[in-house]
Amino acid sequence: MCDFSGKLIAWLDQELTDVEAVEVERHVGHCAECRLAVRSYREISEAFLHCYVETMTAQPGRKPWGWIAAAGGIAAAILLGIVLDQRPAETLAIQPPPPPPAPISAYETPVYEKPVRRAAASMPIVKPQWTPVEPTVEVALPADALFPPGAVPAGFSFIADIRPQP
Amino acid sequence: MSGDSVPWALPLSRFAANDREATTLFGELRKPLLRYLACLGLSSDEAQDVVQDAFLSLHRHLSAGGSQENIRSWLFRVAHNQARNHQASYHQRFSDPLDPATGLLLDEATPESALLEKEKFQRLSAAIRTLGSSERECLLLRASGLRYREIGEVLGMATSTVADTVDRAIKKLAEKCNV
Repeated sequence: MCDFSGKLIAWLDQELTDVEAVEVERHVGHCAECRLAVRSYREISEAFLHCYVETMTAQPGRKPWGWIAAAGGIAAAILLGIVLDQRPAETLAIQPPPPPPAPISAYETPVYEKPVRRAAASMPIVKPQWTPVEPTVEVALPADALFPPGAVPAGFSFIADIRPQP
Repeated sequence: MSGDSVPWALPLSRFAANDREATTLFGELRKPLLRYLACLGLSSDEAQDVVQDAFLSLHRHLSAGGSQENIRSWLFRVAHNQARNHQASYHQRFSDPLDPATGLLLDEATPESALLEKEKFQRLSAAIRTLGSSERECLLLRASGLRYREIGEVLGMATSTVADTVDRAIKKLAEKCNV
């Protein structure tokens, strides 16, 4: 087996350093065994790639619209994420605190309006329409003191009006 | 290597700042990721879920000020680890040969060439089944366009180990397929 056989596939994949690649290329140029191996590796790599590419095509039950929906969903989600990410930058600036809530009316400090002094001329003088009378004096007299017992039911009393006659 | 190869230097500094760049990044890496996950045995729906989660993780990673270097291998590593959670179907795809009746490789010009291609594919599928899991994963990531260093980051292996594993795997396949 050739000493370069372990580098042929990496050389095909362009994974060697420039110096190594030049060495392998020079060797392959005059080594029939390695040229044959390189052709074989290239062919099997292409077959694998073909198989690989066709694998997704051969997936059963594939829904063509599914890719569109997925693309739209991801784009929308990323857009939403970007928008949400940009929002804090706009609102992070220090802002004055919000105004305190309005006090409950029951505890509200009453605001008294300064009383308006009415003009004296506008106040009508109302004269009383009644005439004063003498106060009434009432004296309660038990019924037993005026009538014989049993003549008047118990609890009855009489009120004498002792106002002087006008 | 692959027709879906992605650029080496991704415009990640603009990723968080420009949603169009994020969409571009998604468009460039979605297909290679889906292929890789499909080859690991995930169903189409599972692969889509994993890819979606991987990109959302990437967005959170970058939004939190995470490293923007080697983002391709970062995405593959996240997808690879999430695929590991689907242990029921993991390795199903390349462990079992694909069913030729699915129409794979049957778009050849003549029935004879289609038959030859089918036989060739069956041989290759059988040979792939003989590979170890790390050999298979290295070849899948290599087919996705990843460099040996990136494959090592995804699988947690040294670059030299990746080179040895790829070398060994390709030689096995060539021997089994008589190529």
